[in-house]
Amino acid sequence: MTTQQLRPIVSVFPIKGKVKTIKQVPLPSVFSAPIRPDVVRFVHTNMAKNNRQAHAVSTTAGEQTSATSWGTGRAVARIPRVKGSGTGRSGQAAFGNMCRGGRMYAPKKVWRKWHRKINTNQKRYAVCSAIAATAVTPLVMSRGHRVNKLPELPLVVSDQLQSLTKTRQAVKFLKFIGAYRDVEKVIRTKKTRVGQGKYRNRRHVLRKGPMVVYARNLGIKKAFRNIPGVETASVYTLNLLKLAPGSQMGRFIIWTESAFKLLEDIYGSWEKPSKFKSGFYLPRPVMVNTDVERIIKSDQVQTVLRNRRPRSRKYGKKIQRADPYEDMSVMVKLNPYYKTKLQKQKELEEKNKKERKEIVDKSRKEYEDWLYFSEEEEEEEEEEEEEGSDEDREIEVLSDEN
Amino acid sequence: MKLLKEIQSKAFKRAEKYEKEYLDQEQKLVELKQKALKEGSFYREPEPKLAFIIRIRGIVGVPPKPRKILQLLRLRRIYSGVFIRLNKSSLRMLHFIDPYVTWGYPDVETVRALIYKRGHARVNHQRKIIDSNEMIYDKLQKYDIVCMEDLVHEIYTVGKNFKHANSFLWAFKLKPPVGGFSTVKKSFVNKGEHGNREQYINTLVKKMI
Repeated sequence: MTTQQLRPIVSVFPIKGKVKTIKQVPLPSVFSAPIRPDVVRFVHTNMAKNNRQAHAVSTTAGEQTSATSWGTGRAVARIPRVKGSGTGRSGQAAFGNMCRGGRMYAPKKVWRKWHRKINTNQKRYAVCSAIAATAVTPLVMSRGHRVNKLPELPLVVSDQLQSLTKTRQAVKFLKFIGAYRDVEKVIRTKKTRVGQGKYRNRRHVLRKGPMVVYARNLGIKKAFRNIPGVETASVYTLNLLKLAPGSQMGRFIIWTESAFKLLEDIYGSWEKPSKFKSGFYLPRPVMVNTDVERIIKSDQVQTVLRNRRPRSRKYGKKIQRADPYEDMSVMVKLNPYYKTKLQKQKELEEKNKKERKEIVDKSRKEYEDWLYFSEEEEEEEEEEEEEGSDEDREIEVLSDEN
Repeated sequence: MKLLKEIQSKAFKRAEKYEKEYLDQEQKLVELKQKALKEGSFYREPEPKLAFIIRIRGIVGVPPKPRKILQLLRLRRIYSGVFIRLNKSSLRMLHFIDPYVTWGYPDVETVRALIYKRGHARVNHQRKIIDSNEMIYDKLQKYDIVCMEDLVHEIYTVGKNFKHANSFLWAFKLKPPVGGFSTVKKSFVNKGEHGNREQYINTLVKKMI
C-alpha cells in the first residue's frame, strides 16, 4: 500500500431540500479492506450462536418408572417393562429411546456449549470486510436491497439526521433520499413466520431494510425505531450480525457525516492504527492488484519471462503415427531408401520374370520342334537325347509349361 | 531442418549398404552349404546370436525366480516382447522362464516389422513412438546409430552397441495372436506354445504384430 493513499471522495447529502454546495468527504480506508466472504461466514456463524438460550430436556423424562426386563423365555423382547398390574401401562416397554414414553437418546443437557469464542482479530477482520462490502453496489443489490434510486453508495448524509426526533421526519427523510423503496419492500413482505416460532412470540418475519449509522444519538434512535425494517446503530459498536445478516455481506447503510468520518479513526488504516482498538491495523489483502491478466500481460513481467518450453506430452495427447506398412509417407520418413528398395525389387522381379519367360519359351519351342520332327527323324531325337528319354522329355516339357 | 536432411541422406546410404549386406549374408550361407555338400561334409551354421522373446503367460501365480527374470528382461506383461542377445548366461535365464515365454530367432523382416510398426523409444523415461529418425539420432548418435535401418541392423546383427540399441527400445507390446494359441501349458516341442520355437517365431510375430 502506498503511503499517500489516493482516496476517493464521497458526497454528503442534506436530509431535506436542496443545498447550494454539496460537501465532499474522503472515503475512509475501511472501505478498501479486503472483502472476505469466507471470514465473514465463519465469524457470523459463530457469533450468531452467542445469543442462544440454554435449553434441555428434563433430566427425569422417561426415567420415572421402575421397569425391569422380563429376561428371556417369555416370547417377548428383552426391553425393560413396567412392573405391576391393573393398568394398561403394566408390562409396557420403558426406558429405551425406542420405547413409547421412554427417555430420548442422549438427553439434551444444559451444559452444552452454546456460545463460541472467536478471535478478536478475526471478528474485526469480518467487520471491516462487511463495511467494505456496504460500499459495493452489486453486493448490496445482490443482498436484496432496493438501491436503484439512491444518489450514491456509500450513502452519507448530513449530521442533522442525528437530531431528528419524530418518526414522520424520519420517513420523510427516507423518501427524500430514495431509501424508502427498501422500507416499502419490508412492509410488503411482512409475513407470519413459518414454523412453530409463530406461537412462541416470534410471530412475524420481516426483511432487513436500511441501517442508519450515527455518531451521536440526539433523537435519531427513537425517530427510526418504529419504521419496519430500519435499524440504527452507533458507529462505535457496529455489529457483524447486522452488517452482514445471514452472513450475506452488503447491508444497505445510511451513514451520518460524523459517523462516516469516525470510521477512519475507529478502524484505522494500513499505516495508522485504530485509535479505539488497540494495536489494530486494517487487514491487508493477499493481492493488492487483483487484475491477474493485466499483471501477466504487463511489460515488467513479459520482459523477464523465459522462453516457452515445448509442451511435455506425458499427460497429453499421444502422438499418433500411421502404420508405416500402410502409409508410404511415414515409411519414407523413417527409411528414405524404401522407395528405391521397392523399385530395385520390382526391377529384379521383372528381370527374373523375363529370364524365366525366355527359358520357358525356349523349351516350349524345342518341344514343338521335337513334335514336328519326331515321326520323321529319329536321329535328331538321338542328338537331343542329352535331355533324357522320350518319356522323360515329355515330363520335363510339361513341367516347364507349368 | 538441415540436421534432418543430413540424417536422411545418411539413412539412405546406410540402408542401401545394409540391403546389400543382408543379401550377401544369405548368399554366403547358401554358398558355404553347397560347398560343404560338394565336399561331402556338413556346414554347421553359426549359432544364433539374437532371440526375440514374447511373454505368453499372465502375471498371476508366477514363482519368484521366473518373476524376477521376467522383470529383468522387461517382460512385465503378457504379450510383451523383447530382443535378447544369446549367450550362455542369457540362455540359462531363458531356461528358467521357458514356461512363461516363447522365443526364437527372428529374421530381418521380423526385426524390421517390429521396430517400424511397434517400435517405441524410451525418451526421458517416457514411451514414445518412433516417428522420425531424429529421435534415434538424438539418443544413439554417439553409437553411430542415426536411423531406423541402423537400429534394425544393430539389433539383427547384434553389433557392438546392441545393448544401447536394445535399451533404447521400449519392450514391444504385441497383440494376442490372430488365430490363437493351441495350449500355452505345453512346450512348443510338445504341440504347445511355450519355449524355444526357433524360426517359427517369425510366423508367430506376424500374427501378433
